[in-house]
Amino acid sequence: MNRGTWRQLPLLLAAAGLTVWAVPGSAAVAEQGTPARSVTAATQVASAQACDPTASLRPTGPPVVSPGSYMAKIRARGYLIAGVDQSTFHFGYLNPLDGKIEGFDIDMVHAIASAIFGNPNKVVFKAISDDQRIPDVQSGAVDIVAHTMTITCDRLQQVDFSTVYFEAAQRVLVQTDSPAKSLADLGGKKVCATTGSTSIENIKAAPSHPIPVQVPYWTDCLVKLQQGQVAAISTDDSILAGLAAQDPWTKIIGPRFSKEPYGLAISKKNGDFVRFVNAVLQKLRTDGQWAASYALWVGTPVPAPPAAHYES
Amino acid sequence: MVTAVSPPAQRTAPAARLGLWRRQEADGTPGKLRLLLVGLVLLSLAWGAVAAWVVDQRASGAGDVVSISEPLSLDGQQIYRALSDADATAASAFLSGGLEPQTSRQRYLADIAAASARLEDATAIAGGSLASSDLATLSAGLPVYAGDVETARADNRLGLPLGAAYLREASSLMRRQLLPAARNITTQASGQLLSASGKATGLPLIGLLLVMAIITGYVLLTTQRWLSRHFHRRLSPGLVAATAAAVISVVWLAVSLTAGRADLLRAQTHGSGPVATLGLADIAALRAHADESLTLIDAAGDDSYQADFLATEHHLGPGPGTLLAQAASAASGSPGAAAAADASAAATRWYSAHRTVRSLDNNGKHNEAIQLVTTPGQEHSGTLFARVDASLVRAVAADQTVFQSEAAAGRSAFTGLEIGVIVLALIMAAACARGINRRLAEYR
Repeated sequence: MNRGTWRQLPLLLAAAGLTVWAVPGSAAVAEQGTPARSVTAATQVASAQACDPTASLRPTGPPVVSPGSYMAKIRARGYLIAGVDQSTFHFGYLNPLDGKIEGFDIDMVHAIASAIFGNPNKVVFKAISDDQRIPDVQSGAVDIVAHTMTITCDRLQQVDFSTVYFEAAQRVLVQTDSPAKSLADLGGKKVCATTGSTSIENIKAAPSHPIPVQVPYWTDCLVKLQQGQVAAISTDDSILAGLAAQDPWTKIIGPRFSKEPYGLAISKKNGDFVRFVNAVLQKLRTDGQWAASYALWVGTPVPAPPAAHYES
Repeated sequence: MVTAVSPPAQRTAPAARLGLWRRQEADGTPGKLRLLLVGLVLLSLAWGAVAAWVVDQRASGAGDVVSISEPLSLDGQQIYRALSDADATAASAFLSGGLEPQTSRQRYLADIAAASARLEDATAIAGGSLASSDLATLSAGLPVYAGDVETARADNRLGLPLGAAYLREASSLMRRQLLPAARNITTQASGQLLSASGKATGLPLIGLLLVMAIITGYVLLTTQRWLSRHFHRRLSPGLVAATAAAVISVVWLAVSLTAGRADLLRAQTHGSGPVATLGLADIAALRAHADESLTLIDAAGDDSYQADFLATEHHLGPGPGTLLAQAASAASGSPGAAAAADASAAATRWYSAHRTVRSLDNNGKHNEAIQLVTTPGQEHSGTLFARVDASLVRAVAADQTVFQSEAAAGRSAFTGLEIGVIVLALIMAAACARGINRRLAEYR
């Protein structure tokens, strides 16, 4: 060591300390390499798992619109108001060919409208951005949000969620010529996700220290990737598959390093509506509709639907 | 000084003349005459030089107005407008889906072509003098913008949501870089136009000319009075001719400069002034129209475009202090006034149609909202915007014509004046010399 290095010693020690402090999660990923374990580590960093996020309110029976319930209010209004995504291919997107919003999330909403009205089309879709999802549910601007939304304990403080209707996991999308094999290879590189998503928090917390780049929509990330402004996009595999479908020169890489259980967000004031929606979801899981939607939007083979899990 | 000189009426014999001359010289009259001769010739030449210089300044100012500043300012405005129009047209064409209307496509392509051509012209005229960094920003950014728009179209045609992201990217490049650069060029060019116009109409030079004319006139008249008293002659033909030449040049200058100044001021108040304000109003209308389409394309509740629409609406007016109000008052009395009034009336109806579009879109009637923007109809937002835009374009064109004819008249007022003033000054000098020489000859 020369004098210059000696002078930097305190700095080096501090850096080493920081690394050790940041390591627990990353060490788990690197050494054990099992996606399931790394998931737990990453999610714990974000939300400290002070709760069981997937436990929802138990339905009272099959979906019935009882008088005086929130569903009765929706029925009196004449349409359900759903906050959805409009730019996530295959989950919630505005099809330019017919001007309609379509996708897996949208199918869930149609099923709920059908249970309330006997008509799946009695829905007003309000396209919202990621960081508007919670405020819109809280303010009552929408009855329900179906927007590739991960259930977390932090979010459960602010809104209620249905049971899990889709299980995604965070992965990474790069161009086919990228040498990166996972997020671990992207240290110091720009990695894109949307503002207000759980993905951006996971990127910030990643031990390899990629540079997080935030944009309003997932398609904006793909524009940046195509123009070489970011090295990768990292979010739920479900969303990445929709992006990859729009650009054959991209590939999804690396392990599933977080667990992203999707739920439909509903105001904490409307517990009866949460129970109703859970009853509808249970029906979809058992009557084959869930599998049909999965096959249509995500592809085959179709896995078993995520099991409903209720508060005891 | 005059009283000290003895009149030369007591003629002496030629033989005695030489001696007398010497005596008289000491006495002063011939010496004074010589001084007078040199003084008058110099004064005539100085008058000619000053008058020619003033005329030159005026003519070159007027020339600058007509051939440099005005084209540059027009180029700047047209680049600004063409780019704003491209932004609005690309967005509304995108809104129509994969099968965009042919007219929109052509309008967009014409905008890009016009912007490129004007950019080339402006770069040539500016010659590195003005806004060269802004011109460079535009030259570099325009192909990138057009590339993003084409990618957006291609993706839209394939039915991919990625298309909307590319259009947003294109629009953001346009608004963050290209439009501000175009606005800078316009501002600088109209500043230049104003200073060239000021050079061609300013009063200080006229004041200088007036002082010079008074001095010249006073000296000529005083000289003649003195000569006529001293030599008992009623008139000196040479000095009379010089005075006539001076009067002719003063009258010519007065008529031409006054007419030229009036023409140029009219060009400004009824031409370039209203053109600039009307142009800004049109650009604001185009921006709001783009916002309207982008809100529908975005459709994600991110209300930044709608917020921009409302801000632009507030800025555009009509209403006290707004762009449309300024344009209407700037255009009052000019041929564009009627069209500017049409624009104000249509704008109010457009805003109310826009409220309908927003309320349809917010209540899940996205397609109906799009119809109001993209298809023609009595109270359709798209149609009413088109009326605002067309009225403003008409007003700009009318006032631009005024500018061009008045400015050209202003410049032609100076035709031949500079040469004329110089020739007249030489005539004055020659005539003065001849007139004084006549008197001097009497002492030889």
